[in-house]
Amino acid sequence: MDFFQSGRMVLESTSRLMINLPVYSCYNANRMTDAILVEKLSKTYQVPEREGGFGAAVGGFFHRKYTDVNAVQQVSFTIQPGEMVGFLGPNGAGKTTTLKMLSGLLHPTGGRAHVLGFTPWDRKREYLQTMTLVMGQRSRLSWDIPAADSFLLNQAIYRISDADYQRTLKELDDLLELSPILRKPVRNLSLGERMKCELAAGLLHRPKVLFLDEPTIGLDITAQARIRTFLEAYNRHTGATILLTSHYMADVTALCERVIIIHHGQLKYDGGLTDLSRRVAPFKLIAVTLGDPCPCDLSAYGTLLPGGDEDGKQLIQVSARDVAAITARMLAELPIHDLTIEDPPIEDVIEQAFQG
Amino acid sequence: MLQIYRRLWQVNWAEQWQYRANLLMYLLYWLVSPVVYLAVWITVANSQGSVNGLTANDFVTYYLTLLIVVQLTSDITIHLLASKIQDGTLSGDLLRPIHPILTNILVNNIAFKALTFIGLIPVWLVLCALFHPNYSSVTGSSLLLAIPAILLGFSIGFLLGATLTCLAFWTTRVYAIGEFYTALVILFSGQFVPLQLMPPTIQRLAEFLPFQMFCYVPIEIILNQMPPEVMLRNYAVGVVWLVISMFLFKWVWREGVKRFSAVGA
Amino acid sequence: MYILRLLSAFFKVNVQMTLAYRTDTIVNMLINLMWLGWELLSLNIIFHNTTSLGGWSLGELIALLGVFRLVNMLVAGLIWPNTEKFNASVRDGSLDYTLLQPVNSLFQVSFSRMVIWRVWDLALGAVLIILGIRMSGGGATPANLVSFVFLTISGAMVIYSLWIVLIAATFWFIKFDNNVTILQALMDSGRYPATIYPGWLRLIVTFVVPIALATTVPMQALRGDLNGWQILLFLGVSAASFLVAWRVWKAGIKKYSGASS
Repeated sequence: MDFFQSGRMVLESTSRLMINLPVYSCYNANRMTDAILVEKLSKTYQVPEREGGFGAAVGGFFHRKYTDVNAVQQVSFTIQPGEMVGFLGPNGAGKTTTLKMLSGLLHPTGGRAHVLGFTPWDRKREYLQTMTLVMGQRSRLSWDIPAADSFLLNQAIYRISDADYQRTLKELDDLLELSPILRKPVRNLSLGERMKCELAAGLLHRPKVLFLDEPTIGLDITAQARIRTFLEAYNRHTGATILLTSHYMADVTALCERVIIIHHGQLKYDGGLTDLSRRVAPFKLIAVTLGDPCPCDLSAYGTLLPGGDEDGKQLIQVSARDVAAITARMLAELPIHDLTIEDPPIEDVIEQAFQG
Repeated sequence: MLQIYRRLWQVNWAEQWQYRANLLMYLLYWLVSPVVYLAVWITVANSQGSVNGLTANDFVTYYLTLLIVVQLTSDITIHLLASKIQDGTLSGDLLRPIHPILTNILVNNIAFKALTFIGLIPVWLVLCALFHPNYSSVTGSSLLLAIPAILLGFSIGFLLGATLTCLAFWTTRVYAIGEFYTALVILFSGQFVPLQLMPPTIQRLAEFLPFQMFCYVPIEIILNQMPPEVMLRNYAVGVVWLVISMFLFKWVWREGVKRFSAVGA
Repeated sequence: MYILRLLSAFFKVNVQMTLAYRTDTIVNMLINLMWLGWELLSLNIIFHNTTSLGGWSLGELIALLGVFRLVNMLVAGLIWPNTEKFNASVRDGSLDYTLLQPVNSLFQVSFSRMVIWRVWDLALGAVLIILGIRMSGGGATPANLVSFVFLTISGAMVIYSLWIVLIAATFWFIKFDNNVTILQALMDSGRYPATIYPGWLRLIVTFVVPIALATTVPMQALRGDLNGWQILLFLGVSAASFLVAWRVWKAGIKKYSGASS
């Protein structure tokens, strides 16, 4: 290249440096105190699209049409060390994608993030040594051998000294009651027991940041409660930062002071739980099937939702505060064949609170 | 009954056609071993002129014929049935008013052969053009006489394969037993080497085993190299083995299904 | 050293798994022995009809079987089980866990499963090699022996590199379940010296799926058929193949994590 070109290059790069410098320095200062810093993080997937039919299939062979799926759009937030934050949103909202980017599995298409000062998707060894990802639906333990032996493998992988290992294992055992299940092959454990072992396996190296993806999914109520108690105790005990995703409202309400709601890839809410419950008027759904054909107007009891089903089941929305009283009234006044009280799906809660 | 077989054929053929992408892989599998063995024996023949009367070109002829014959008589039942027994999906088949093995599995085998030949024939023709096997001794009658041998070979192979697969009703190690069986077959069917080159004791043994009907006997009949009295004797042995394998299969199947239903899939 | 500690940890886990399926292990070992018997019987049948196969004596062929056994140990003991695990982990997403552990992902994918009992193939192979060398007159110079050892290792390295490229292909072609079968299909060709194969097969097993590189070439070195330049060439090819495999793997991981570049 000639003199002018190289000169121009030098000029451009120094000016770029100068523009970035002030941002870098105050950004750097924040990096020291934040555990997790997320700035306009985005992830767009390109999904091949094809209509049905033979003609389209042949056409698709020659020319692939792609649509953009904006899984995560410009999400920003910061989390301080020791916080326990709940990531809430319906399936497909973008929670897991965000979590995958923060843990380092995915490269974003835009924006940036720093966890404990590292860029997660560089997957530097020092970063991987201080964080952990536990996914409720995927197992890291070997099926056929006792969990204890998978733990020993992790000890080697994370280079944990024998002393540290014994100490951490004892603490986890105290909190999770692992002793009875550690020597059984993982294949023979119940779902709840397995989840306990999965969590323990992910915590043997005392990570400072925990990413938990749907840790209570599929568990019964008691098991869910036990996991929640454990997480709360662990957070208090070790001061680890915990980011937990769920589509169970109960997980979040039980554990997290702070809630981040993601819907359609966008951040809808980031704040305290109490504020959230003020914004979201809690309500319940009563599903009722009437016995004899009855010209009763159910809208007298609450908001009648459109679309019952063929069995005659109809859904009424009532505020959570009044549900007991209204149910009692309905049972007394109507010929009820079947009645159940359900939690509204999280999507509806969010839709209603944040207007989609 | 014919209607049932016709429908089975349609379904199985459609299924096999879906797996045509794997044809290339299958072809590779089937071509490698015969080519390797052929190379071995050509080398031996070339270094001495001939081996026990067989020249290099005789070996070429033998193995090229083998490529076709082995596909005609081979049996893949273990790959179709063993997993169904092990995971219990066989119960669905047991509830239909037809014999699962003698209908669906059999037709599946045949459909697989049909798919195989679509890939194999062009390759075979190319190989023939390249290596000039000597088919001058083949006549119309030798081909005709070989047909019952091939049918016998396939039937015995099918029944024995099904019997072996039925061991899955009792053990999880049926694939290991299958490997052992395969090793025997490769030796005694004439796939590794034409049986006349084996040490005399092994040859004697091979004459009483059914495996020679899978490859060696049909090939020799096609090539018009089997004297009539030997052919007759081999056919007789083959028929005896057919009867044995029929009874064996019937018995193993009956006991196996009893056990299967008792254990409850 | 950390690597050794890690390997021994993987080893322990796999020993546990072997013990969990004790009878299966015994049955598999018996079948393995059966195949050895079959191989020796087939050599016997060949040498019933001749005294040399394309210039190779019975002793040399037995030693070749020994080298083949070592390669088979790699393929059956490491490559197959880890391929199964890898394919499963891509399908169910547990590959994510592998990527997030502070251990090189390639190392994990290569060694997390080991069929422990295959180690005895090492002993059997060594016995066959020593027996074969003795039988063929034992005229191997120290230089031949050294190059033999190096070429055996480098041959295994080439097979390993091919395997890495084959499984990394899953990152680009998702529906690639049959990826390693091509390796298995051609394994049979490693039992006999590739010098006797027709040209096109020899090409395939040297350049496409280099079974010949792993079995015949070390034996040629042992017999003194190769000159120094050829030996260096083979060693170089093996090093290059590993580098290629390493780059392909890294590119595959990047693709999996959606990196744009």
